[in-house]
Amino acid sequence: MNKKQNGWKRILAIRGMGQVITVGIGLVVMCIVFGIINPTFFSSKNVANLLRQIAPILLIGIGQSYVLITGNIDLSIGSVVGMSCMISATLMTKGMNPWVAVVITLICCLIVGVVNGGLVAKCKLPPFIATLGTMTIARGIAQIVNNNYNTDAIGDKAKVFRDFFYYGKVAGIYNTVLIAMVLWLVFNFLLSKTRTGRHIYAIGSNIEASKLSGVNIILTTTKAYLVSAFCACVVGLVICATSGMGTMDAGNSYEMYAVAASVIGGVSTLGGQGILIGTVIGASIWGVLQNGLQFAGAPVAIRNIVIGVIVVVSVLIDVIVRSGRFSKKSH
Amino acid sequence: MRRKLMTAVLSLGVIASMCAGCSSSAPKEAATTAATTAPAAETTAAPAAETTAAAAGETYKVYLITMDQMDQHWVTVDSGAQKAVKELGNVDYKWLAPDVKDDAKQIECINNAIAGGAQAILLAANGPDAVTESLKEAVAAGVKIVYVDSAASYPAIQTLATDNKAAGKTAGEEMITALKAAGIEEGKIGIVNVNAATASTVAREEGFRSAFEGTGFTLLETQYGEGDAAKSKDIAANYITQGVVGIFGANEGSTVGAGNAIQEAGETVIGVGFDKSDMIMQLINDGYLLATMAQNPDVMGYEGMKTAVNALSGQDTGAENVDTGVSVISKQ
Repeated sequence: MNKKQNGWKRILAIRGMGQVITVGIGLVVMCIVFGIINPTFFSSKNVANLLRQIAPILLIGIGQSYVLITGNIDLSIGSVVGMSCMISATLMTKGMNPWVAVVITLICCLIVGVVNGGLVAKCKLPPFIATLGTMTIARGIAQIVNNNYNTDAIGDKAKVFRDFFYYGKVAGIYNTVLIAMVLWLVFNFLLSKTRTGRHIYAIGSNIEASKLSGVNIILTTTKAYLVSAFCACVVGLVICATSGMGTMDAGNSYEMYAVAASVIGGVSTLGGQGILIGTVIGASIWGVLQNGLQFAGAPVAIRNIVIGVIVVVSVLIDVIVRSGRFSKKSH
Repeated sequence: MRRKLMTAVLSLGVIASMCAGCSSSAPKEAATTAATTAPAAETTAAPAAETTAAAAGETYKVYLITMDQMDQHWVTVDSGAQKAVKELGNVDYKWLAPDVKDDAKQIECINNAIAGGAQAILLAANGPDAVTESLKEAVAAGVKIVYVDSAASYPAIQTLATDNKAAGKTAGEEMITALKAAGIEEGKIGIVNVNAATASTVAREEGFRSAFEGTGFTLLETQYGEGDAAKSKDIAANYITQGVVGIFGANEGSTVGAGNAIQEAGETVIGVGFDKSDMIMQLINDGYLLATMAQNPDVMGYEGMKTAVNALSGQDTGAENVDTGVSVISKQ
């Protein structure tokens, strides 16, 4: 049947694509306006910087999107970012090989993902409460690993690490952007083309029905939280590479940036709906606003107001689309 | 004899805090001890203080409440206070702080300290007004308040702080001197601050801006990085793209961010910052930052503790405002 449709129609037929296109148009308009206000916005240097500023938001957005699609939420993201930053930096200042430090950090962060999944799916705690708990615990771990100090500089030995995650470039594109792109491709494939992906949508749409059809709720939920913890871990490593030191408050309130990026891009907080291309647009809007408003010389308060309005409006679009005239499109 | 000892201790403390116009009135015994230099005075104060404590035979409960526990700055205030506690020997000391900078959480800390039986509180107020109500309660309960680092707008025994505005101006002057030495007389300057609510960094920015009055430089709209080194780095990189000639960082995270951005851009942007940490020192020694204004948080904690104990034992506490100063640290 798909063969009969042309490409454009097929894209439009994807659930949630309508909002992505609407918001995407908004993004383009926003870029043009910023470009007119200050042409430096479109300079190659700024575009390169801008993409790198968007990358971490996109990564945590992917993680949060996964969890939101299962009908849950992950508030621990920001703290896992901080934990990842502090654990990796502390190990490196103690002279450990950067890659060994990365592996250990990854394991620690994934444990948080497993705990989140277990608490939510197996122990049936409300996700808001469960991840609120792990959020506080993870922040505490971030503080305790170096005895309540920010770490010293991670030093010259870690230059490879800093280049790999942040400062290096391949084919003129910063590594951070490439990392985000690769992970996006992987996780997008996982979500849209595999059985795990279908299960994630299924338990977000109707958990009882999925249970009856034999979906392993605990495993699927845990997988979503693992993706979230993994993405947060990578962002923590990026931040550690950026600063060249571990800061205990790294990633503060990133979980909310992640919710904003997901929601602006059309991921429903009620679960079962959303596509990762939307998260790209959502993260881009966030990043473009941060960057563009600085170039426009706007006071920070304006930026906060604008971002708040965009979050509310994009969810409003979602609600109107779902309840209103496009309802025939939904399955 | 006891009174003379007390006077000696007092005058030593006052000399150590570099307060002017008091040592002349000290009696002979004090003057002989005080004839040593100021750093030595701190060490000689220890045995004398212990004697006083033994004589008084009373233990005081003193709390330190900072803005958070994360910044190295607060850890250094704490170690300064601990040093004084060790020397005094009659203090039951505790350090309380919210996990993140937050007015409401700091108010809780103050209430907890009062409930815990604090007789004196060394407070680094998060903002000037938010905590005043709970301070009123504390004072009503007989608690002595000494401000360290940041004062609230409520009277206290003493405020030991960096004059942030003056320090910010020094930072600005350092930058102007370096720019002029490089033959730059005009251009844009970027400012990376923490947020609009932290009084100390706002005052630094104010001082920094005042240094540029009447020069050919344009100061851009301030950007706030929440003290986060990664966010601050993004902001600084955006400034560099806009073609700034100088970047000012108002605290540790902002300064690290500015230094990293300058290092990456490889451009001759002059970076001046605040606070001292291993990373900042590395950026300065590698030549990416010109200088940093280092405060003396250990002095705040040390002298603050002594003031608190003096106040509790009914002794003179010296001047109401003590500027603990900054040291300009540049490449050695």
